[in-house]
Amino acid sequence: MSETEPNIGYVIGGGLKASLQARLTVPAEKVQEGGFVIMETEEWLFYGLVTDIMLGATDPRFADEQSENRLPPQISRLLYQQALYTNLEVLPTLMLERGPDLGSPKYEAWRKEHPDGATPIPVKTIPPQHTPVRLASAGDIAEVFKGNFVIGYTREQGHPVQIDLERLVKRSSGIFGATGTGKSFLTRMVLAGLIHHSSTAVLIFDMHNEYGPDDIAADTGQKVLGLRGQLPQKVRMVGLGAGATIRGQQPDFTLELAESDIMPEDIEMLTRELNLRETTPATLSALVHCFGPTRWFAEFRQMTTNDYIEDDNGKKIPAPGSVQAWAAQNNVNELAAVGLRGKLERVFNLPYIVERPAADSLKKVIDSLESGMNIILSFGDHEADLDYLLVTNILTRKIRRLWEERTNQYRSHPQQHKEPRPLVIVIEEAHKLLNREMAGQTAFSAIAREMRKYGVTLLIIDQRPSQIYDEVMSQLGTRITGWLGDEEDIHAVLSGLAGRDALRGMLSRLQPKEEVLLLGWGVPTPIPVRTRRYNDEFWRALKGRDKVVTTNDLISRLGGDE
Amino acid sequence: MSVEAIEIGRLLRGSTRGFVAGCRVSQLDVPAFGSLVRAPLQAGYQVFGLIYDMRIDDDGMVRQLAVTDEVPDYVVHDNRLNRNVPVELSVLAVGYELGGKISHMLPPRPPLCLDLIYLCSPQEICAFTNHGRFGYLRHLLQNKDVPLGELAAAHFQQTGAAQASCGKADWLTRATAELIVLLRDDYPTLMGVLGALSELNTEA
Repeated sequence: MSETEPNIGYVIGGGLKASLQARLTVPAEKVQEGGFVIMETEEWLFYGLVTDIMLGATDPRFADEQSENRLPPQISRLLYQQALYTNLEVLPTLMLERGPDLGSPKYEAWRKEHPDGATPIPVKTIPPQHTPVRLASAGDIAEVFKGNFVIGYTREQGHPVQIDLERLVKRSSGIFGATGTGKSFLTRMVLAGLIHHSSTAVLIFDMHNEYGPDDIAADTGQKVLGLRGQLPQKVRMVGLGAGATIRGQQPDFTLELAESDIMPEDIEMLTRELNLRETTPATLSALVHCFGPTRWFAEFRQMTTNDYIEDDNGKKIPAPGSVQAWAAQNNVNELAAVGLRGKLERVFNLPYIVERPAADSLKKVIDSLESGMNIILSFGDHEADLDYLLVTNILTRKIRRLWEERTNQYRSHPQQHKEPRPLVIVIEEAHKLLNREMAGQTAFSAIAREMRKYGVTLLIIDQRPSQIYDEVMSQLGTRITGWLGDEEDIHAVLSGLAGRDALRGMLSRLQPKEEVLLLGWGVPTPIPVRTRRYNDEFWRALKGRDKVVTTNDLISRLGGDE
Repeated sequence: MSVEAIEIGRLLRGSTRGFVAGCRVSQLDVPAFGSLVRAPLQAGYQVFGLIYDMRIDDDGMVRQLAVTDEVPDYVVHDNRLNRNVPVELSVLAVGYELGGKISHMLPPRPPLCLDLIYLCSPQEICAFTNHGRFGYLRHLLQNKDVPLGELAAAHFQQTGAAQASCGKADWLTRATAELIVLLRDDYPTLMGVLGALSELNTEA
């Protein structure tokens, strides 16, 4: 461990449930909410988060009266030193066994029991009264936050905080924050880190064309570097529809969906978007029954409506090839079928759904992902919710099935099959796909719930976490959240975490920009950090690191810098 | 014990917690309210105390003179010089020295009648007040008869000066802080004491 910080106070009471109380021996402004502190006893290091700072007085009158007006400055200063104080509320989060001294005879035996040294474990006991409290040093932070990617810095002292990206994507995770809190910059950095460092494949549904091409920041007007330009060997930018250009840039290839790719459930999922009736499933099922799962969409697309001919008797009957004729033949409610045909007009008109795509671009996407590439699917001009819902769902459904199959093959015959590459699907505006109504119908909630086994996880980016289905939220391992104003959003982000009450205050008092709270499974303890800046320097630092940096390297580097 | 010990009177009556010394008016220009005094009893044993009251009682002669129309100066002078009733100095016992060791506890035995009482020199003041951690202040706080704030202010003023001459300029600050710690649960008393101590500061 590098240099230690001076003590700032000592433990005076509290408990595991109610947080610890510590008396501050330095001025209150030396400590901030969210500060990472260490309490050191003979055997353990206790790590905790400052969750509250409270002023106190031995007698309330000392605080009420402005004695400095009555007493000379040196006496009032002495009085305040003795009679007024500040208490910290510290949420204990982790503890680390210190082990015997290197030189002590017990060390050998201890080392045998702990071959990797001690690792921090969730706190199970508390330090006694009068245990000194100090702010964490860079070394302490590095000891706890072992990882390969610096996501930000502690707020007070600016010590780097690392996350383990491999661990982050082992379970689904989320990046949240109200609009304008720097969510997309943070996402760019996390994605850059993921693509650059980890072996995981990344599939990004880039609804607003933010991540692939270079962009101009909305508030500063400065150029924001895109992932495609910075990591050309690892990223493929895919446009939606033939001839698509993304911000004037030519994508690496384009994606078209075949009519045969559309399944009835893809349409059912659009119930709200297309305002479909409850008769829709029956009609769809009749269509599939009649034409088969691959042909139904094409056939239905070609049907005409309100097309009548006169029969031999001069009576008007539906023309062959019309919806009405098909409905009559197949005992389907005519009005329902006509209504559905009308409502699906928007889907039929989508230019990227074609009878026969020029190339099997869907396969190309999947092959790229399997071969070590990462895909940014830019929606280009197709920015409507309909496009987003339909395309993400179809693609994800296919990928999910494929990964499931391949994992099962690998598990049954590990010699003959390769283990599929772990995949992270990045979805923006996730509440559109994962809200209470949709969650059951889209492929995403299933991924969040159970696809961890098959190596597919989600990275959800959203500004309204309260709109996301609870069951999905509760499955999110790691949550990185910027400032949230809405009480319900805060509640949603913190669902299922220990110390919610303490964290809630911290979350609502985050700086609206460039500060995030790291929470959940992927980080050893919740901590607020000042995020890194996304700029040229970030890219230089990222690309400068060819090898994975170990904690020891980092500590020595920190020692050298200071 | 210093060579030129300043004698300020003899003991009239005493107890473990304090004693009263009597002195002539001619001796009265030396001791002051708040001064640290000592009463040596035998070789190596002396009791320390703080003067917290001075009392000048009347006698029959003074009463008569007081109602006389004109009292000539020489009569006043003679009465003061040769009065029958001594000036009484009330002293609060705050510690003792036995075999060269200073203690801030109450003395094992009080001084006896007519024992000589001496004013402490700056060196003696420093030696006594530097001992331990201001333990003797508790005797001031426990005795309800002493005017705490005034006594503390007078004592701190004299001792602060003595300590400064001994090179401990921060004594006054430390002593004030200690007094605040001892009294911080008693707001009215503490504010009274600090009020008295502020007088000291404004004078300085």
